[in-house]
Amino acid sequence: MVEEMKKFLTSLLHKVEGLYCIAITDRDGVPMVKVTNDKMPEMAVRPSFLSTFAMATDQGSKLGLGLNKSVICMYSSYQVVQFPYLPFIVSFVASTKCNTGHILALDRSLQELLTDLKRTVIEP
Amino acid sequence: MGCCFSSCREDDSSENADPNERTHLLADPVSNINTLHIQRVHSDDFLSQYPNSLPEKTDQISALNRILQETANNVIDVAALGAHNLEQHEYVERMKHYTQKLQTVAAVSHKWVQPRANPCLLVDIPAPDSLLAAAPISPSDYVLIKSTAKKATLALDDLKVEHKEDLVVPFNIP
Repeated sequence: MVEEMKKFLTSLLHKVEGLYCIAITDRDGVPMVKVTNDKMPEMAVRPSFLSTFAMATDQGSKLGLGLNKSVICMYSSYQVVQFPYLPFIVSFVASTKCNTGHILALDRSLQELLTDLKRTVIEP
Repeated sequence: MGCCFSSCREDDSSENADPNERTHLLADPVSNINTLHIQRVHSDDFLSQYPNSLPEKTDQISALNRILQETANNVIDVAALGAHNLEQHEYVERMKHYTQKLQTVAAVSHKWVQPRANPCLLVDIPAPDSLLAAAPISPSDYVLIKSTAKKATLALDDLKVEHKEDLVVPFNIP
């Protein structure tokens, strides 16, 4: 299943210009499936970095605007888009020039894969 | 507790001296204090009389705890969050666990698995807008390409097989 998932994610990675990484991790940033290309910054896939999103989305959901659905962080040379799909976190790392809307649109393509992954990983 | 509905309906029976379930406990107490004999029941006696009518103490504590929990959940306390870093061995163990789980399942009939596409010269490109918005080639390049292509076509048209000798030759077999 891993190989098929990686193939699928790689095809998504190639669909969006400037996208460097798609990582599906747990809440603590431990990766389950991850595809990257060679421009990927190593710092962006560290568990300590990815796991901060889990806390941010929890707290962001308390602001009275409903549940937090995604967090987009723009840095000087990269952008990081993260979705909560509990118990997973889906993280995209891309260049700043990458079209953020294209990244957000990938969410829909990932839904079925995430449902399968959830069924597989979570103990019955 | 028994007077919940007392204000809902004015009844003639409230005029009677005997208190019933519709009697106003506080209805004009100053003027009626002498005529209306309201039984004042101590709350402890009442509690012992109707043990199920009031919430238990444990219920109160659990309700209080629930309220506290809800409040704690709703409070945004950034200072208390802190960085939760996984230990290296825990990280490795979890990664192994996930890999094992995923290895055991075969992805045969999953909808997201893409069918093998037929090889095609035309392929999708991620950002057609950048390609379409690119500056066109210069006119001199265009003329050059056109003339070269024309020459190439002419050259291909002129390509002929020149007959020099027989294709089938008898071998000198002794």
